[in-house]
Amino acid sequence: MAERNPGVALAGSPLVRHSDLPSRVVVLALLGASAALVVANQAYREAEVSLAGFLLGAIGPDGVAVVAERQTVYFGLGSDTPLGLRMTPECTSAFLVLPLLVIGAAMIALRPRITRRVLVALGAAAVAVVVVNQFRVLTLVGLVEWLGVDTGYHWGHTLLGSMVSVFGGAAALVLFVRLATRR
Amino acid sequence: MTSSLDVLLGFTQALALTMSVAFVTYVLLIVVPYLRHRPGPVGRSTSFEWHFVVPCRDEGAVIGDTIAYLRMNFPIAHVWVVDDDSDDGTVDVVQAWLDGGDTHIHLVRRFRPQARTGKGDALNDAYRTVKLWMGRHSDPDRAIVVVVDADGRPAANCLEVCAADHLFGDPSLGAVQVDVRMINTGVRQTGVPWWRKTFGSALVRMQDLEFRTAIAAIQMSRGVTGTISMGGNGQFTRLSALDSIAGTTGRPWRGSLLEDFELGVHLLTAGWRTGFSTDTHVHQEGLYDLGRFLAQRTRWGQGTMQCMRHLRRIWDSEHLTTLGAAEMLYYLAQPWMQLLGSLVYPIPVLLLAHRAVVSPAEVWTWFTDGAWILFTVYGAFGLLPFLLWGPVYRARCAPETSLLRSLAYGFGYALYIYTFYITSWRALTRLLRGDNTWTKTRRNTDRGLTVHS
Repeated sequence: MAERNPGVALAGSPLVRHSDLPSRVVVLALLGASAALVVANQAYREAEVSLAGFLLGAIGPDGVAVVAERQTVYFGLGSDTPLGLRMTPECTSAFLVLPLLVIGAAMIALRPRITRRVLVALGAAAVAVVVVNQFRVLTLVGLVEWLGVDTGYHWGHTLLGSMVSVFGGAAALVLFVRLATRR
Repeated sequence: MTSSLDVLLGFTQALALTMSVAFVTYVLLIVVPYLRHRPGPVGRSTSFEWHFVVPCRDEGAVIGDTIAYLRMNFPIAHVWVVDDDSDDGTVDVVQAWLDGGDTHIHLVRRFRPQARTGKGDALNDAYRTVKLWMGRHSDPDRAIVVVVDADGRPAANCLEVCAADHLFGDPSLGAVQVDVRMINTGVRQTGVPWWRKTFGSALVRMQDLEFRTAIAAIQMSRGVTGTISMGGNGQFTRLSALDSIAGTTGRPWRGSLLEDFELGVHLLTAGWRTGFSTDTHVHQEGLYDLGRFLAQRTRWGQGTMQCMRHLRRIWDSEHLTTLGAAEMLYYLAQPWMQLLGSLVYPIPVLLLAHRAVVSPAEVWTWFTDGAWILFTVYGAFGLLPFLLWGPVYRARCAPETSLLRSLAYGFGYALYIYTFYITSWRALTRLLRGDNTWTKTRRNTDRGLTVHS
């Protein structure tokens, strides 16, 4: 196909295809990671709840314990109001990371030269999603300690948790797009 | 089993959340520049040579008025009527104008079996004829081809606006799409029952709202990504830009059902910039009839699906940034996301319904204990991206509208958008069948016709 464009300076052909083996490996790895998030979802949640236990223990509340095989973190042990929070498939960040991995894989497959940039963006956005989810858990614990189990859990798990998820998710998406598409 | 269901529920909820959040974020990002937009300077229309191209197939009822309108408002422009072997009196109407001796009116005739093969082919014929008529020594950089529907009414200032320094005054700019408005907004049908009058009027209002707010905002945001797309009506293209993508066969328009978008893809990947302006507009007739509207949108959906074949071309192009390519991917993915959404969104609802049937007391307690807040939050986020266009329409396009009515428009627009879930499935069915024949979108007073593409 003969194409010319006298109105603008063209640097060679507009169609430049890259055959980049490492990028194909990256695409397969990202798709594999996506599948792993579904198949090994329980292991991911165990890791997530362990991280929540570590952070809770680090910032203060006494009586924190993690039962990873039940994907549950307990806090307030020894007090009058001990509570366990279970990381269910509906609460995990795994399925928020998954679409980012698939989109990232598609972008790398379509434009291999941006592999590094997309991987950086994926890393940043995935960290943001995980941090947001941990923040949600910590906020929930804070509200339970502040307002009591009934009221604190009620508002923490419904309204605040949802808002954190929505705004955190939006921030992660914007971060991903900004980092992955910068010139 | 329960564990698998929980994973499925978690996955579908997260996917629904991601898609909703992405959409809300996208809408908020595009609405701000739209509201901030101020009109730009205009240029001298005499700096360019203008050629209106009007594809016609059985447009005898409207083409005479369109020619009169174009000649009266744009005396320096040429009008090229492309007759696609009409069975009605289209050619007679144009011939009467030709007999009147107006040298700025031209008729391009196509005959079966070469005729009726799609709008793109008709436009390609017009392009080749204009080239021949202009001759070898003309300046294609100064010639602008304007595609207008047979019932289209470009605003009287459109040539001056498009001639501005930031539009065709910039030699790197290959094409401009202008704002589209519905000429029959607020006009009720006659001779139909009251409920059809009310519904038809609301449907036209939604089309006007869609083009003048949401689509205009999307186009403005594409100014940032460098991916402003072309629509079939009110589309201005520099002749040299058409030359650059016409190839040896002289066919700048290709064969998809969304030939206008496809043209934009080829221009952008050839290195041309594209522009959009709300400083001028073209009026077209909005559809009153739901069946005709669904047929039109199914065609657009199928055309968008067909344009997925250009994905590799888009992402391989050195002329498109990654942000631009991602924007086009997002656009091309829309019908597929609607298909995915129509599968994913009901899953949490169905699972909840199942639980409600199995243990209603438990679900009721869960709902009244706070889940209603979740429903409210997600409902609000699902509705907000559509609802806000009502007040935006009031602010920018229809200040005479009351706030309450504008909110009603926003709700109406949300319902209007849900029709895309239907049209995307219809489009997929046609695509899988390999069915590229198409019933031309009928005018509000027409009977149906079939074209092939």
